[in-house]
Amino acid sequence: MIGSTAIQRGRTAAYVPALMEVAGVTKRYGEQRALTDVSFGVNAGEVLGLIGPNGAGKTTLLEAIAGLLPVDDGRILWRGTPPALLHRRDFMFYLPDGLRPWDDEYVARLLEFFAAAYGRPARITTEAIGALGLAPVLRQRIGALSKGYGRRLMLALALIAPQPLLLMDEPFDGFDLRQTREVMGVVREVARNGRTLVLAIHQLIDAERVCDRFVLLADGRIRGIGTLADLRAQTGMPAGGLEDVFLALT
Amino acid sequence: MRSPDAVVVHRAPLRPLLAKELRDIVSGRALWTMLLILCPLVGYGFFQAVALYGEASSAARDAPVLAAGLSPLDGVLVPTFGALYLVVTLLFPFVAIRSLGREKETGALRLLVQLPYRVPTLIAAKMTAIFGAWLAALVPAVSALVIWAALGGHLYILETANLAFGHLLYGLLVGAIALFAASISESSATAAIIALAFTIGSWVLDFALAGQPGVLEWVARLSLTQTLRTFEQGLLSIGLLLGIVAAICGFAALSAVWLHPGVPLRTKFVRSIACVAAAAIVLASATRIRTSVDLTEDRRNSFPAADQRALAELREPLLIMVHLAAEDPRYVDLRRNVLTKLERVVPRLTIRLATTGQSVVGSSSDEAYGEIDYSYAGRADKSRSTSPREILPLLYALAGRPVPPPAAGEEYPGYPLVAEARPALLWFLGALPLLIVLAWRWLRRAPQIAQPIKDGDQP
Repeated sequence: MIGSTAIQRGRTAAYVPALMEVAGVTKRYGEQRALTDVSFGVNAGEVLGLIGPNGAGKTTLLEAIAGLLPVDDGRILWRGTPPALLHRRDFMFYLPDGLRPWDDEYVARLLEFFAAAYGRPARITTEAIGALGLAPVLRQRIGALSKGYGRRLMLALALIAPQPLLLMDEPFDGFDLRQTREVMGVVREVARNGRTLVLAIHQLIDAERVCDRFVLLADGRIRGIGTLADLRAQTGMPAGGLEDVFLALT
Repeated sequence: MRSPDAVVVHRAPLRPLLAKELRDIVSGRALWTMLLILCPLVGYGFFQAVALYGEASSAARDAPVLAAGLSPLDGVLVPTFGALYLVVTLLFPFVAIRSLGREKETGALRLLVQLPYRVPTLIAAKMTAIFGAWLAALVPAVSALVIWAALGGHLYILETANLAFGHLLYGLLVGAIALFAASISESSATAAIIALAFTIGSWVLDFALAGQPGVLEWVARLSLTQTLRTFEQGLLSIGLLLGIVAAICGFAALSAVWLHPGVPLRTKFVRSIACVAAAAIVLASATRIRTSVDLTEDRRNSFPAADQRALAELREPLLIMVHLAAEDPRYVDLRRNVLTKLERVVPRLTIRLATTGQSVVGSSSDEAYGEIDYSYAGRADKSRSTSPREILPLLYALAGRPVPPPAAGEEYPGYPLVAEARPALLWFLGALPLLIVLAWRWLRRAPQIAQPIKDGDQP
C-alpha cells in the first residue's frame, strides 16, 4: 500500500516521528466508498498538499482527521498516540471550504470572539487583520462581505487559532491571481513560524507553488506521496510538473 | 499523556460565548418579528380582559358576594399571559431554533465545536440566550401588568410571580425542545416541523384525550400545556416543577448528545437512551411528589385554614370511591372543589374511579352512578354531593372529630375594578412596537473598533 509504505520509508530514513499520522482511514456512504485505507504522515513544520480533483475525497479526509466526521475504520495518531475525538481540537484547527458563518455578525466581533475564546492577545488579532488586509471591512456584516474578503476572514480565524496543525480546505479558492499570491505568502509565513499546514487544493499550479510535499488522492485512494522530486522519480518524469505527475499517477 | 504541543485552554472564558450567543439570537429577525406580533396580541388580550372584568365589576359593586368572585388572576392576568402562551407555542420555537439551526446550515457549527468549550457548555450558553429571548418576550406582558396597576388594579405578588414562573418554565421547555429539534435536523425547516409537532401535538392531546380514563389520561398528561394549568390555578407544585426541570434538562442533554457532527450515530443513540432513561426516572419520581403550595390570595386551592389543620390530622388511610365517569361535569366539579384540595392536605388519601372505562351515557342505568363512597378508619359513608360544605362534615363524622369553627376575617374580599383600558392600546399598537424597532436598530449597530485593530498593523 502506497500510504503505509511512505510512512514506513519516512520513519526508517529520517528517524523523525511524524507529527500526525493518518492510518488506514476508510469512510463509506452506504455502498459508496469515499475513502479507502488512506494512510500518510505529516511532518512538523511542513506544508502538505492534499491534491486531487473534485470528488477525490479531500474534504471528507480533512473532516475525518479533524474529528468532524465519523469514520468506518482507521486511526489518527498525534506523535504516535491516538487522541480522543473531542481532544483533536487541542492539536489541530480545521478550516472548512466555502464557509460564511454567522452572517449577521460583524467581522470585528467574530475576530474578537475567536481571540477571546482562545485567550489570544489583541496583538495576534491585529496581526491577522493586517496580514490579510481585513481592516476596511471590520465594521461590515459577514453576510455582506465579498467572496474574497469572506475567505480572508476565515483565514484570519485560522491564524488566530493557536493549534500547531492547521487543516485548510481550498484556502485559495475565491481569490484572484494577485490575492492568491498574497495569501500564499501568508501561508508560507505561518509555516516559517513553526506551524504545520495541510492544505486541500485542487488547483495543481497553486499547490506546486506553496506545498513542500504532496499526497495525491483520486477516488478516495492515495495515488502518490512525496515531494515533487519524489513523485517525478516515482513516475520517471524528471522534468515533469505536478500536473504531469498527477496525470501519470491517477 | 497529553502531547507537549497540545493547545489546551483549560478555562475558556464564558462571557465571549454568552455574548456571541445573545448577539446571534438578537441579530436575527425571528425574535423581533415575534415581539412585534406579541405586542398587539397581548394588548388586545389585556384590553378585552379589562373590559370584561369591568363589566363583571359593575355588577359586583353593590354585592360583596359577587365581588368576592372577582380575582385579577383569573380576570386579567391569565388572559393577558394567554397571548404570551400562544406566541411561545407557535413562534418561540423559530427563535430558539435559530440559535443552532443557522450554525448547522452555514457550517458554523464545525467551527464552534472546535473552540475550547465543552459541548454541554455550548448548549448551556444557547439555553441562556433562549432565556434572554424569553425575557424579551415578557416585556409586553409585564407592561400590561404595569398598566393594570396604574389603572388601580390589584396585583398579588405571589400569584403573579407564580404565573410568570410557570410561563418561564413553559418557555424554557419549548426552547429546549426546539434546540433538540435543531440538533437532530440538518435544516431549520425540519427542526421547526419537529418542534411544532411537540407544541401543536400537545393541543391535540388536550382536545382529544382530555378527560379520558386509564392510559389515555396518562398520555394526555404529557401535553406541554399541562405544565401551565397548575400555575394558572395559583399552585406551585413541587412535583410538577421537578418534572418540568427534568424535561428541560433532558432535552438539553439530548441536544448536547446530537450536537457534535463527529460522534458516530450508534454512540449518539446509546447516549440518547441513557438520557431518556434518566429523565424518565426523575419524571416518574416527580409524579409521586404531592407537595404543592397554594399561592393565591383567595386560597382557592385550599380549604379554610381551620379545615386544613383538621384534615391534616387525619392519619388513617382515607379511601374515596367515585362512581362517576371521568368526563362527567359532576366529577370535574368534585375534583376542583374537593378532591384536589384533599390531595394537598390529607396525608394518606386514595381516590379511585369505580367507573373506569365507562362513559356518562353508558353508566346512566347504574343505580350507584353518581355516588361517592368514603371509608375512613373502618367506617364508611356515601354522598352524591360535590360541595365541600357537605363532604367535609361527612369526613369529620367518619373521623369522629368535631367540625372546626370557621375563622373570622378569612373571606377573600375580591377586587372589582371598572377601568377604561382603551388608551393602553396606543401603547401596545404604537409606542411599544416603535420602541422594539428602535431597540432592534440600536442592537444591530456596527461595533466601535479600537484604533490599533482598525489599522491592522503589518506583522
